[in-house]
Amino acid sequence: MNDQTVSNQENQQTNNRNDNKRIHSANDFLQQINEAYANTNYPSAFTSSYTIMECLGERNGIDTFLVQNTRGTSYVAKCYDKSVYAPDITQDLLHGLDHPGLPGYVDSFENDRMIISLREYIDGTPLDRYIIEHTLSEQEIISVCIRICDILSYLHHQPEPIIHRDIKPQNIIVRLDLSVVLIDFDIARIYHQDNDTDTRFFGTIAYAPPEQYGFSQTDSRTDIYSLGILLRYLLTGSTRENPNIKIYRPLHKIIRKATGFSPKERYSDVDQMKQALRHANPGFQFLRTAGMIICIIAGVGLLTFGGIKLYQAATYTPFSEDAIPAFLSDEERIADASNYMRNTYHTEMFDNTDDIATIGTLRTVMIDLYGLDPDYVYGINTEMPQESEEYFLPWGWDDGQTVDRDIMIYAAIKVHDPSIVADWSSIKDDNGYYPGVRVAVAFADKTGIATGANRPGDISIGEMALILANTDRVFASADSTVSEP
Amino acid sequence: MESKSTHISTQELWARLFQAPTIDSYLNENNDALRLPDFSDYITALCRERNEVPETIINRSNIEKSFGHRLFSGKRNPSRDTVLQLAFGFGLTTDETQQLLKVARLTPLHPKVKRDAIIAYHLHNQKTLMDLQQVLEDDHLPLIGGKSYE
Repeated sequence: MNDQTVSNQENQQTNNRNDNKRIHSANDFLQQINEAYANTNYPSAFTSSYTIMECLGERNGIDTFLVQNTRGTSYVAKCYDKSVYAPDITQDLLHGLDHPGLPGYVDSFENDRMIISLREYIDGTPLDRYIIEHTLSEQEIISVCIRICDILSYLHHQPEPIIHRDIKPQNIIVRLDLSVVLIDFDIARIYHQDNDTDTRFFGTIAYAPPEQYGFSQTDSRTDIYSLGILLRYLLTGSTRENPNIKIYRPLHKIIRKATGFSPKERYSDVDQMKQALRHANPGFQFLRTAGMIICIIAGVGLLTFGGIKLYQAATYTPFSEDAIPAFLSDEERIADASNYMRNTYHTEMFDNTDDIATIGTLRTVMIDLYGLDPDYVYGINTEMPQESEEYFLPWGWDDGQTVDRDIMIYAAIKVHDPSIVADWSSIKDDNGYYPGVRVAVAFADKTGIATGANRPGDISIGEMALILANTDRVFASADSTVSEP
Repeated sequence: MESKSTHISTQELWARLFQAPTIDSYLNENNDALRLPDFSDYITALCRERNEVPETIINRSNIEKSFGHRLFSGKRNPSRDTVLQLAFGFGLTTDETQQLLKVARLTPLHPKVKRDAIIAYHLHNQKTLMDLQQVLEDDHLPLIGGKSYE
């Protein structure tokens, strides 16, 4: 016992004498940690009330921390190193602003080395992560962009307009209730009419318009440009234009206008862009047509019978902003689709939603409900080669085989518009894929057709109904868009 | 050649803990967030690799049992502190812990954060979660697992 203590002491002495690169005792090291963090640049009023929990980011001399007060409430602390970047604390951009889409200003601290601005912590998921975890329909994307328009409108219409200048998915937080909050005002600035150009480049290159590189002064149209890029990113997964991905036309027009090279070509005001987005919503188009039809029916006097049915039809808005598909469970979607098929085509084929769908069902649907020529649908039974554009389904399967989800999507789209799944669709490409199926699936993802039919493999009768009903609705709303004056 | 300064920078401390150049290089090397595996798949694979069953890891992590199983089945997402608890449960190194945090899409341990430095120190020296909680409590820092101090 004694021997050990003695030898321990000896060891310690040797160690202390020798090098100070290695740490031999826990207490020593913890003490060093304490010393290292005791002498910081943070204002003491801040360190006495808040504990730094996480580092959320560091750039341009600004550290962003998640901090906690003694009660465990979280805040975001922006710490500005005065030797690198010194904002005027009296002009904290968030001070005095009050909007549900902006983080609230809480407090600020200052000493001779550092300025700290404390803000509300927004609990939610950044949009870049959110779109990986959730597939957003076109309607949902439009809804997100409209919400951002509202926030920007508030900022741009301040007595001294505030330009955010860094609109990108990482700076948009989606809360649990799907509301969005715009964060990160580090490079936001108040617009001064007398400045010709901004001297320094801030922002994020992919989302920044030409003037942010110094072509002219940035104004509210800078944010409009970034919002256009954001819209493209949400729809296509890329910030760059990709001619291979077809964007729903009204939205494509909005992106083009918002991202004009010169600010003059863009929407002059974010409210204009919001209006354009609202009109581009397929749900809006659908509602308009539906509204007109209902008025006509009501005028003829049909309201007297089937009043409840009519009421349901009038209030039923499958693709409107108020009934975002995300709020429906998959079961509810399928029940809805089964009803839709029964009412639209007067068929009971889709009543047993849990049954497994077969190629036979699909062929019957195409011939009986959609009126396709049986020879075209059953091409396989003729003498022609199997993989031919002459067939509705080129795979040469028999009626008893199950249906794959992707093939169902292909068939549902092809019955409405064979030009989308072009003639060469039925021939395999070099990689052994049917390009038509890939195009159809991409189209379905973009338009929301695939929402609710999540299984990649075999599908049920209910999922078949869902895909068919969704496709009907998408094409119905697309038709009404085309006929728009 | 000996430094006269009695004050060690936090960066220097960190370098010692990690025995890696800087945290920046680590972060820059691993920027492709889109290709990250699923968290539940990752910890399940980690179990298999270490010949452990989730039960054991959950126990050692001091995580409530049913919550722990939901983490392994992917029904729940972990908080940052939960990931750190799992790191102790698995007996991960600091580097492996950074990777686990990354897979969970959470912020890495950072040299500018004292609490993180203490956590990293305990991971690096294979201390237990209990040791860590004791030190955090002595230092009036929030304990792992979200319990506030006061």
